[in-house]
Amino acid sequence: MKTQLSILALASALGTAAHAEDKTLTISVYSFAQDEYKEALYDPFEAICGCKLVVETGNSVERMAKIEANAADPVIDMAVISTQDALALARKDLIQPLDSARLSNFDKLYASAKDPVGDNMAVGYTYYATSIVYRSDLVDISSWSDLLGEELAGQVALPNVTTTQGPLTLMMLGKALGHEDDFGPVISEIGAHASDIVTFYSRSSELVQLMNQQEVIAAPVGRFAWASFKDAGLPFAWAEPQEGQAGGMNVMVMTKGNGNEDLAYQFMDYWLSTEVQTKIGEMLVDSPANKEVELSPEAADNLTYGADVIENLNILPAAEVLDKREGWVEQWNTEVIQ
Amino acid sequence: MFRNTREGLALALPAAIFSTLLFLVPVCILLSEAFRAGGSWSLQGYIDFFSTPLNRTVFLRTLKLGVLVAGTAAVIGYAAAFCIVNLGPKSRGKVFGMVVLPLMISPVARTYAWIVILGRTGIVNEAITGLGLSDTPLRLLFTETAVFLGLLQLFLPLMIISLVSAMENIPRDVIPAARVLGASWFAVFFKVILPLTKEGLVIGGTLVFTGALTAYITPAILGGSKVLMLETLLYQRVNVSNDFVSASVIAMILIVMSFSANLLLKRIATARS
Repeated sequence: MKTQLSILALASALGTAAHAEDKTLTISVYSFAQDEYKEALYDPFEAICGCKLVVETGNSVERMAKIEANAADPVIDMAVISTQDALALARKDLIQPLDSARLSNFDKLYASAKDPVGDNMAVGYTYYATSIVYRSDLVDISSWSDLLGEELAGQVALPNVTTTQGPLTLMMLGKALGHEDDFGPVISEIGAHASDIVTFYSRSSELVQLMNQQEVIAAPVGRFAWASFKDAGLPFAWAEPQEGQAGGMNVMVMTKGNGNEDLAYQFMDYWLSTEVQTKIGEMLVDSPANKEVELSPEAADNLTYGADVIENLNILPAAEVLDKREGWVEQWNTEVIQ
Repeated sequence: MFRNTREGLALALPAAIFSTLLFLVPVCILLSEAFRAGGSWSLQGYIDFFSTPLNRTVFLRTLKLGVLVAGTAAVIGYAAAFCIVNLGPKSRGKVFGMVVLPLMISPVARTYAWIVILGRTGIVNEAITGLGLSDTPLRLLFTETAVFLGLLQLFLPLMIISLVSAMENIPRDVIPAARVLGASWFAVFFKVILPLTKEGLVIGGTLVFTGALTAYITPAILGGSKVLMLETLLYQRVNVSNDFVSASVIAMILIVMSFSANLLLKRIATARS
């Protein structure tokens, strides 16, 4: 009897394993915080769906190139990317519109996350604010224009225009300098102050290091990096400039014709659920796009959280970044990098 | 050694196939992109590259730093190599070990050490402000000087190793004989040491110059986006702009610069002899 039960259990386990092999969802995600995602999202989802998740990571360019290279027979089923990258994929006809009726958590999202790139091509799952981190014992920041002021000359870093934070910084400097609709004069102004800028950083980790070494005492940065500064032991502060904070979001997209739509919708819906968004928020990984999420004060303090904050973010439309970035980069390379 | 040439070729074949398939073929495919700007074969990629002021600046900066690093490494390398080959066997091993030691440490760690030295709160700035030479710390990081120092420190051991190998082959009596016959140290160097170590100089010079051209980490950390070099520009074109044509052009330029440096050094060495 015992032997028969063992054989049955083994057969059952093999059957489950074979079934899980049959159901596979391939996702393309950012490389960071994969241990946290595994604990809060991937492992619980695999247990619920009885399927196998294949996680592909890399930088945006590599991941986008892979989606494009496999357009005829998609390898990736769903991806999480920036709004401008989502729009770029949509324009190349590589992703398909999302049916919000198949996402039970869709109505729980903030309004700006429901259709951030248009035509229901994407849905937002996390927000980020961008403001200025500064040494509160050395300087006071009240406006974005302070970044180009005399007090900070030789002690400020700016994000490179090619980064996500770059155009957001141009937008906020534009608001401060009176050039809201045209970034050209803003780039020229930065070029005129280029010798006062310590460096134009590409990664937030690079900036954390520069600020900890006291090479830089103020710089624009995404809120997702704030925890790295808070724990550094130096008196860093998060500025609340009079022009407000810039912001953006990362979104989920579904590749066109992947044939795995049911499982992809199930995964996306699970990721947007209050339960998962709360867990990921408490781990300080992503700020929730689900407005029903309630975070602890500590997590809330580190993230872009709450209706007031999110509704007041200055968000740069993805189309504007996509259409004008090449021109900005060209002008930047001519007038700023030199 | 081998019974016949065929046996030798058979043994070399696996390595040749491995190198050809896994290195030469992909590199050739990648580099061919540089000639296919706009879908047809042309030099447009190169014309576009050199017609941009930023690219010209980066090209000239890379060339200048490569020449400066290789030249300085040669000057310091000759002094160090001469010292090493004239030490006793025990001391020679120790000093040579100290020269080689940095090569065993990651270039990332070696480059970050310069941040400790050149930063606003680094050793140099503390000395400058401590001695009252300046009221405020100097901007030393993210300058060409920082990149030059980082690259020199990174590749100097290669030059010293090459020159030590070359100098060890100089007969021991040649330099004393030249001195006894009345040659000054200046004449000994240019008429005896330099001609007899030219092979080492060519190898060391090529390694250092090529290394300085193609280093990525050191210019990226010590120069950042304010001191762009061809290698950091190439990275940007691939990973930020997704511009593979421009990246292939840069890769091709780096290869041509490396081979040109090697040919030029060989030509100079041959001309002197």
